[in-house]
Amino acid sequence: MAAAVHKLLHPHHPNGEPPPQSNEPPTSPQNRQDLASMEYAREEEKRILAHWEEHKRPLSPGQITEDASRKIVGHSSTVLRQEDFELIKTLGTGTFARVWLVRLTNPQDGDRNKVFALKILRKVDVIRLKQVEHVRNERNVLAAVAGHPFITTMVASFQDPDSLYMLLDYCPGGEVFSYLRRARRFNEPTSQFYAAEIVLILEFLHEKEGVAYRDLKPENILIDAEGHLKLVDFGFAKKVENRETYTLCGTPEYLAPEVIRNTGHGTAVDWWAFGILVYEFLVGQPPFWDQNPMKIYEQIVEGRVRFPSAMSPEARDLISGLCTVDTSKRLGNIKGGAGAVKAHPWFRHIDWEALYNRKIQGPIVPHLRGPADTRNFDEYEPEPEGREPYSQDMREKWEDCFKDF
Amino acid sequence: MSLPPDYSNEISALNREILKAQPSDVLQFCANFFLRRLESQRAEFLLSQQHSSQRGGGMAESTFPGSNPFGTSPSGGLSTSGMHRLEEEEENDAIASPTAASFPRSDMDNTQAHSDTFGNFAGFQASANRSQAPKAQLPSAVGGVDPQSFPSNYNLNRRTSVSAESLNPTSSLHDNWVPPFHQKTSEQQSRLKAAVAGNFLFSHLDDEQSALVLGALQEKPIPTKGIKVIQQGDVGDYFYVVENGNFDIYVNKSGKLEAGPEGLGRKVGSVGPGGSFGELALMYNAPRAATVVSTEQSTLWALDRVTFRRILMDSAFQRRRMYEGFLEEVQLLSSLTPYERSKIADALETRKYPAGTTIIKEGDVGESFFILETGEAEVYKRGNDKPVNRYKKGDYFGELALLNDAPRAASVISTTEVKVATLGKDGFQRLLGPVEGIMRRNDPSKVAALDDGVDPLAKAR
Repeated sequence: MAAAVHKLLHPHHPNGEPPPQSNEPPTSPQNRQDLASMEYAREEEKRILAHWEEHKRPLSPGQITEDASRKIVGHSSTVLRQEDFELIKTLGTGTFARVWLVRLTNPQDGDRNKVFALKILRKVDVIRLKQVEHVRNERNVLAAVAGHPFITTMVASFQDPDSLYMLLDYCPGGEVFSYLRRARRFNEPTSQFYAAEIVLILEFLHEKEGVAYRDLKPENILIDAEGHLKLVDFGFAKKVENRETYTLCGTPEYLAPEVIRNTGHGTAVDWWAFGILVYEFLVGQPPFWDQNPMKIYEQIVEGRVRFPSAMSPEARDLISGLCTVDTSKRLGNIKGGAGAVKAHPWFRHIDWEALYNRKIQGPIVPHLRGPADTRNFDEYEPEPEGREPYSQDMREKWEDCFKDF
Repeated sequence: MSLPPDYSNEISALNREILKAQPSDVLQFCANFFLRRLESQRAEFLLSQQHSSQRGGGMAESTFPGSNPFGTSPSGGLSTSGMHRLEEEEENDAIASPTAASFPRSDMDNTQAHSDTFGNFAGFQASANRSQAPKAQLPSAVGGVDPQSFPSNYNLNRRTSVSAESLNPTSSLHDNWVPPFHQKTSEQQSRLKAAVAGNFLFSHLDDEQSALVLGALQEKPIPTKGIKVIQQGDVGDYFYVVENGNFDIYVNKSGKLEAGPEGLGRKVGSVGPGGSFGELALMYNAPRAATVVSTEQSTLWALDRVTFRRILMDSAFQRRRMYEGFLEEVQLLSSLTPYERSKIADALETRKYPAGTTIIKEGDVGESFFILETGEAEVYKRGNDKPVNRYKKGDYFGELALLNDAPRAASVISTTEVKVATLGKDGFQRLLGPVEGIMRRNDPSKVAALDDGVDPLAKAR
């Protein structure tokens, strides 16, 4: 156990000093020995968590896809517990999850300002809302993609009897959604910058990981301290590779026609949603909208996008290419994949290499008082009391599904 | 005369605010709320004016002065260096400025977004009153639309994700799910067909899917008046078509049915024979947007989401696997990867021809290739009275059209009603590029061999 933990904690220090306990002969009863080494492992793990960012640099797509055990982040921790984190403030809520800004409890000197986002999912809610499969997909995809410069990094995941936890990097800039609504719409260069970073994300997810993200929208795109994007909430992400999938999921205004018609869908749905996103950046609202969601879907299946007269011809051409009902004609899905999107004239000013390496200054760099500043996040109501408990029956039926978490 | 929808939106937003804040001074709170709304709406209006007058110079640029790497020279390349400290501070000031004036935070409450999007009744009775649908708003020309003509009441809140049950296709032959089937008279059948014809969820179905879906509709007698078939705010699992009788539709502004005599809310319409309601339930589980109550003894047809989506999924799944299987047999495409095959299978289009149709004609320039899905066809060559070959299920023809523009080497005529899957050269090249490139992957000599005049049409298979 201790050896395994040690290996986990020192993947980049193969010759690092082993924990003192493990080499000493047992001087105490076995379980106290185990407890002590467990405690040691916890403290050691917390210490490494506090410093993981110092080792962070954009990995190349090839490096990210290599053996996950060699990465310093994205592992399933057997020692961490909720008590290791102090909950500071709610950053967001979903139907069955709540994301908190947290810091380490009893941090070592100098680690006091190291903060994270902790996504907490109650098992009972996950089961009740039939999201077990989606949550497993989320953890596995996040573990696989950890290290990409524009995707939230899952530093570790762990669980206790009631809940599942994903420890994520904190993105202090808040949601692109908030900036967009405040500005009403983005101008072309701002839209191009953000759109281009999204293209790099989709290129990676589709072509390196075989993953369809399935919930692209401004609410799920955060801005980090340096002004770059981070895609968050992989609740609907799924490794599809060359098989189509059928479960309807996403956000009404962003659903692709093939999702609505249930004819089977794949990564092409992200390119459709990307077209909607670029449109919303430039116009301030998505192209298909009605008070009645069924009317939205009717418009989507018809697929006729109207453009404001002020929109540039290149932007129109890009959006038309992406929001094409026929997937065999949809930009991003046709030959060339993401490369064809990158080659589109609307992106002609983008230096893709520099962009991937975070060398291009973003249009919005959040003003922050410190790493734990939460001014860019909205206030959320406190968690309701008296929630349904995770019963013994449920545990017996479902616990196995969570065993790898 | 009904209240304008903008007004209802404002009032329901105010209701939510009141519920949340529980203010002691209600009047003051309302006054503040409306002032804030007015301010924000005026600000947005000014911004949109600004946007349309100064082309390319949008809001983000003016809010974040100098912070934009593209800002100074929009047509130039990207600056890879950092920006000046001074500019950064200016920008920071802009961002740190209070947002309340232009964007009320309370409007962004996540938990409320849902009811705002779905609680509104504006288009609920779409299928009952289809002719009045606000489709007329859409101008016929694509593009060139003035931004001001966009609906100004767009919901600016965070949008909630939706998800249906996770469904996996019936994959093995042993686990064959069969959709429920409820016998109907031919009059009932045609009435049902007509009732759902205008609904886009049904209009895309092919004949087989349509038959399965209509077969799955189950009769639901409503013995008396006053029965609430669906209740506003409840989970929605069923879609209903009215066979006979009549129903009233009520909406309570609170977003759900409440107790007491006024609990139904306001009556917004009614639906009679041939009408339908609750179609959103066929997509995912969203709260019902209205309460529907019988006004007399009635009969409904009901269809649940899982059955509906499963019928669509299984038929799509089977068709794709069948197409992939057919494609595997096509020699010309033998070097396709499974991923590429699945893309082509996705792009194949189904067409039906009656018996005696000339599907391809000798001497014509070939555009598409075909796989025979059902039925039979014969191959004729000029100068031969008798067919030189016969095609049955799974046979393919015309694939040389993917490779070159050579004229068709023979004619193919259906002898029964046939269903074919077809894809044009354009479509193929769009997805995977030229076929030559794909063939060269394995064996460069193959292309040469084909150029030498191997004619798959003529070969006996």
